[in-house]
Amino acid sequence: MKKLISIVALASLSFGLLAASPVAGVESDLVAAQKARIAAFKTAPKKRPHVAFVSNGVADFWTIAKAGAIAAGKDKSIDCDVTVEFPGGGLADQKRMLEDLVIKGIDGISVSPIDPTNQAEVLALIAEKSLLITNDSDAPKAPRLCYIGMDNYDAGLMCGKLARDGCKGGEVAIFIGRLEQDNAKRRRQGFIDGLLGRAPDATRYDEPSKVITEAGYTIVGTWTDSFDRAKAKANIEDVMIKYPKLALMTGLFEYNSVLAVEVIKQTGKEGKVQLAGFDEGADVIAAIKEGFVLGTVVQDPYAYGFESVKVLSAFCRGDMSMVPASGVINISARVIKKDNAESFWKDLKAKIAAGKESGKAPSKNSGK
Amino acid sequence: MKKALGIIGIFAAIFLFASIYGDNFLTGLNLQQLTNRAALCSILALGASLVIVTGGIDLSIGSVVCLAGITTPWLLVEKGWTPMQVLPLVLVMSAFIGLCHGLLVTKLRLQPFLVTLCGLLLYRGIARWMTGDQSQGFQGEFGDVRALALAKFSIPGIENYRIPATVIPMFVLALLIGLFFSRTVWGRWLLATGRNESAARYSGVPTARLITLSYMACSLLAGFGGMLFIFDIGSAQPSDFGNFYELYAIAAAVLGGCSLRGGEISVVGVLFGAATLQVLRTTITLVGLSSQLEFAVIGAVLLVGVAADELIRRFSARRRERLGAPVSA
Repeated sequence: MKKLISIVALASLSFGLLAASPVAGVESDLVAAQKARIAAFKTAPKKRPHVAFVSNGVADFWTIAKAGAIAAGKDKSIDCDVTVEFPGGGLADQKRMLEDLVIKGIDGISVSPIDPTNQAEVLALIAEKSLLITNDSDAPKAPRLCYIGMDNYDAGLMCGKLARDGCKGGEVAIFIGRLEQDNAKRRRQGFIDGLLGRAPDATRYDEPSKVITEAGYTIVGTWTDSFDRAKAKANIEDVMIKYPKLALMTGLFEYNSVLAVEVIKQTGKEGKVQLAGFDEGADVIAAIKEGFVLGTVVQDPYAYGFESVKVLSAFCRGDMSMVPASGVINISARVIKKDNAESFWKDLKAKIAAGKESGKAPSKNSGK
Repeated sequence: MKKALGIIGIFAAIFLFASIYGDNFLTGLNLQQLTNRAALCSILALGASLVIVTGGIDLSIGSVVCLAGITTPWLLVEKGWTPMQVLPLVLVMSAFIGLCHGLLVTKLRLQPFLVTLCGLLLYRGIARWMTGDQSQGFQGEFGDVRALALAKFSIPGIENYRIPATVIPMFVLALLIGLFFSRTVWGRWLLATGRNESAARYSGVPTARLITLSYMACSLLAGFGGMLFIFDIGSAQPSDFGNFYELYAIAAAVLGGCSLRGGEISVVGVLFGAATLQVLRTTITLVGLSSQLEFAVIGAVLLVGVAADELIRRFSARRRERLGAPVSA
């Protein structure tokens, strides 16, 4: 009986402590503490800061971002050491890398959090021991000093409008790697709202399992694949079988669009099933030039990397002037169509080559 | 064949369910795509079964798929090698990986689980380092080589279904492995090795050589499968390509009648095991179940299926015992 009473008492105490913990307060305290540290750097700036850029996975997109980060480190006006990390093993891998960087004593980290809601502890740890900013996918509730990237809802809207302009109605399918991360949810919702011609509202959320029939379109579903490309391809093939009258599809992660092009070609459905793509897969750009893909919405990963390092380096010298009141440094997405596909592709290839070079030359500025 | 009856029953039940409830399941294009996926998975599963029959396990299949699959377009597109150079090289590399596994297991007496687990990490790491984590693809070229997986053969009189090219290597391999076990002394020796390695060795069976050959064949088939996968998909990212494929291959082999204790194999069963996994995945989409439920449905259906199969076997054995008939193994 005594044991039972002690367990109940302990449980009540723990519950009480948890309930009383001022989570929101802790976050704002952490932001204030970081700002105080930055203010202190004004009088005693870091001579050569060491900052890190951490992706949310491994992709060509991140190689371009890495090139930007490394280039910023070498820029004379920025001048700092840069470490670039690509977690290949998902959430656990990213957490380990972030913790290791903090232990290493890094001066600032720009991260694209995979699942910000469930990464509150590690993000708080960075804010406590270093300086935290986010890129590509935001964590607005975390104690981050700013977010660098595009608004994924707006980019989704662009993709939706591209699809709406090119396809005037019918069945639509959405393919995406995973839906856990903030950018994926917002991108998908933006696409849906843009396609259906709704008034923009980033807080709206349509359940992925729900069929949406509106404005002449029927969105038959959203399929995820956890980055298994064979599965992603099978998803597209199966959906095209299940919905033989499918009018349009969108692949909201880079490889989803690449595989959609592959399946369209293999099944001879060029021009019969429209595709509004996302990101800059080589096959997607080639298909846009050939004319059977409506277009693709591209981000600017090079700028994500460059700006991240630039901002963190400025923080370490006591300068926060480049951060707007909204806390968002916007790097807009743009639509690539047949008319600008060629020039975009040339520029991109040069950046990818720069990214590869930066990976080959180990120096103080080189990434990992 | 008896060992395969259970998995054939499970396959038939899922196929029937999908035919009734799945939209357009019985269309030619769907069956054609299913055949292709089943053939690709079967090639890996046949390789896995060759190691499982010795009582071993190969956890590196997915990473060998990755290394072989990534190396192929990397050498062809990035390095400018010719297909005649790349294809044999990738196959030799895969077989060499298996040879290393086999020697580490038989000569150094390391646990197969440990050896192949290290391989799982090593080969993916090499693929990622080699390519700098860049996606590798054919960039719209090498259509003639990709035809090894993408070509389709028409059947006279049937319009909507064409046989995918991947079926040919699958059948050839299944036939060779079937003949190996049923018609050659080496096949019998391998089964004996799997049942009781010490007894087989004392009987004069070259167990070490046979086990090494099994690992070589497994990795060779994984490498070959990896090439066909990349020909089919067109591009891949080294960090995720082939992830968990070893589990699908092992699951297909075990579902098909291979015992993890070794000494048992059913080639027909392995083919149906691989096909069952693919049909089940497609059924989930065509029936309209949430894709988040995929793993749960696969796990539940297979568990119920194999449990029912085991109960039927026991019931039949008891019935035969009661009737005084000899119980078959």
